[in-house]
Amino acid sequence: MADVRARLKGAARRAVSRTPVGELVRRVEALESEIEELRQQNLRLAEIADVVQELLVPLSSRDQARVDAAIEKFSRSL
Amino acid sequence: MPVSVLSVDDAGLTLSSADEVILDVLFDGRRIWSFWLLRDSRPKGSNRRIAWAASLEKFLDGQTRLGVVEHLSGRVLYDEETRFGSGNGRIAVVNDEGKPLGIDKSGRMAQTFDTRSEEHVAPLLDSIEEVLAALAEAGIEAFPAYGTLLGAVREQHLIGHDSDADLGYVSRHGHPYDVIRESFRLQRRLAEGGYRITRYSGIAFKVDVVEGDGSVRGLDVFGGFLSHGSLYLMGEVGTPFRREWIFPLGTCTLEGRTLPAPAEPDRMLEAMYGPGWKVPDPAFHFETSRQTVRRLNGWFRGTRVFRDDWERRYSSRRDRLPDLAPSGLAEYVVAQEGVPGRIVDVGAGRGGDAVWFAQQGASVTAYDYVPTASRAVQRRAEARGLDLAVRRLNLLEWRSAFAEGARLAHQPGPRTVVARHLADATTRFGRNSLWRFASMALRDGGRLYTEYWVEGGEERALLRRLRPSAVRAELIGHGADIVHEETFDAPGEPGRRIGRTVAQWRT
Repeated sequence: MADVRARLKGAARRAVSRTPVGELVRRVEALESEIEELRQQNLRLAEIADVVQELLVPLSSRDQARVDAAIEKFSRSL
Repeated sequence: MPVSVLSVDDAGLTLSSADEVILDVLFDGRRIWSFWLLRDSRPKGSNRRIAWAASLEKFLDGQTRLGVVEHLSGRVLYDEETRFGSGNGRIAVVNDEGKPLGIDKSGRMAQTFDTRSEEHVAPLLDSIEEVLAALAEAGIEAFPAYGTLLGAVREQHLIGHDSDADLGYVSRHGHPYDVIRESFRLQRRLAEGGYRITRYSGIAFKVDVVEGDGSVRGLDVFGGFLSHGSLYLMGEVGTPFRREWIFPLGTCTLEGRTLPAPAEPDRMLEAMYGPGWKVPDPAFHFETSRQTVRRLNGWFRGTRVFRDDWERRYSSRRDRLPDLAPSGLAEYVVAQEGVPGRIVDVGAGRGGDAVWFAQQGASVTAYDYVPTASRAVQRRAEARGLDLAVRRLNLLEWRSAFAEGARLAHQPGPRTVVARHLADATTRFGRNSLWRFASMALRDGGRLYTEYWVEGGEERALLRRLRPSAVRAELIGHGADIVHEETFDAPGEPGRRIGRTVAQWRT
C-alpha cells in the first residue's frame, strides 16, 4: 500500500514538473541557490580585505622577524 | 480534558492531554527538565508518550521524589517516590564537582541559574560588565541579549532555567560585508586586550573571561545590523525594525545592576521570542523563519562546519597518547624520500604521525581544526625536546589558511606536506583551501601526500567518500602536477578502498 502511495506521489510530482508550475518551482530553486552564492561572497570578500589590510604591508618587509610577528599577531586574533 | 500523568518508567512518561502545556520535571523538589507536552511527545494510542531527555538518562539509577508540575499554574500532576534502574541511593543530578545541574533551553545539562546563589552569580555579572566595557572601548554599543535581556526586562533577574549569558549589538553599518569586517576588527581589539575568542560565524563569537576563582566563562557576543527596514541579529532574528527602537540605548536592571538595553527592549524581545515573550517558557524553542535562517547562513555562516563533531570526538581523548606507530602514509613518505627535513602534517588530529616524524628527526608543524586534540603528544614532544609545533588551521576560514600559508611561504626551502583523511573529512570549500594552502607551503619545492577514503567498508563518522579523479581534477585546477596516484585496500579491511595522491607544484 505504502509502495503504491509512493509511486502515485512520484507520478504526480513528475506530472507537475512538466507543467508551467513545475518550471517555476525549478526556477525559484535555482534563483534561491544563486542568491545564496552571492550572499556567501560577503564573508569571503571581508576575509580577503582583512588579510590584505593586516598582512600585506608587513609581509612586504624583508625583516623576517617583523613578518613572523605580524602573522603571529594576526593568527592569534582568529 | 485536564492533563495527567498515567505512568512513569525507566524509559519515559505516559501522559494524557488534549491541550498544550509546559511541564516541569522535579527530582527531590528541584526542577531538572521542562518540556512542551504536545510538541515534544509522541502519540501512543489516545495518550502521549515522552522519553526522558537524552542528557538525563545517565542519572536515572536510584530513587527520587519525582514531581511533574504545570509550569505556569503550578498544579502538581505527579508527586511520588520513584525508583529508576536497580540503584538504591538517591539520584543526584550533579556534575563531577557535586554542583547541581538542570537541563537548559538547548537541552544541555548545565548549571542553571536557579541553583546558584548570589555569590555565584556576581562573577557572571562582573564578566558581563567587563565585556560590555571592552566592547564599548572598541566603539561597539552592546547590551544583554536573548535570555539575559529577557530576564532583565521580565524579572530583573537571570532566568532560573538559563545557564549562560548573551550579549548583542547592532552595527552602525548597513551591509553584511562591513558588519563582518567590523566584527573582525572587534575580535582583534579584544584579542589585543588579552581575551581568548572563539569565532562562531562572520559576526558572532565567544569571549572567554577568567573569573576571580580562576574558572573560565564564555560570553556569547552576537552581532546584528539594520538593512532596508529590517533587523538581522545573529543567530535568530530577522524582522522589520526601526533604528530608534535601539538607539540611543536605554538601560535595564539585572540582579541589581544597571546595564545598557535597546531603547525599546520590549520590541527587541518580541523580535527574539515572539509576542508571547512575557510568559515564562523554560522549554522554549526558536522557530526562526526559513528566510531568516537562509539569510544568516548565507551572509555569515559556514566557517565551523563539523567543528562541534570534531571537538566531541576528541573531548575525552585529549590527554591520552594515540597509537605512536606510523601510519601507512607516513611509512610511504619515508620510503619515497627518506625522513624529510621539514614536515607539515595538516589535519594532524591526535598527532600520532606528527610525533613519529619528529622522533625520526624531522622538524614538524602539525595543523588541526582542534589543536588541543594532540595535547598528550604535545606534552610528550616537549618533555623529549622534539621539534614539533602544533598550530590551529581552519580550512573554512580563508584568513586562517592564507595567514598560515603565508607564514610557511616566508620560511624558505622545500618541505613535505601530509594530509591523511583530511580531504575526505572536510567540505569542497575546505578541500579547495587545503590545495591552496599546500601550494603556498610548497612554494620552494616538496610534495603533498594525501590519503582519503574512496569506497567500500563501513561508513565512519565524519568521513565521506572521495573519488581519486575528483582529487586529481581539483589539484590540477590549483596548479599542481600529479606525481603519483593509487588506490588500495586499507590494511586488515579488505574491500575498504583508500586513495593516495601525491602532487607537487612547479617552483
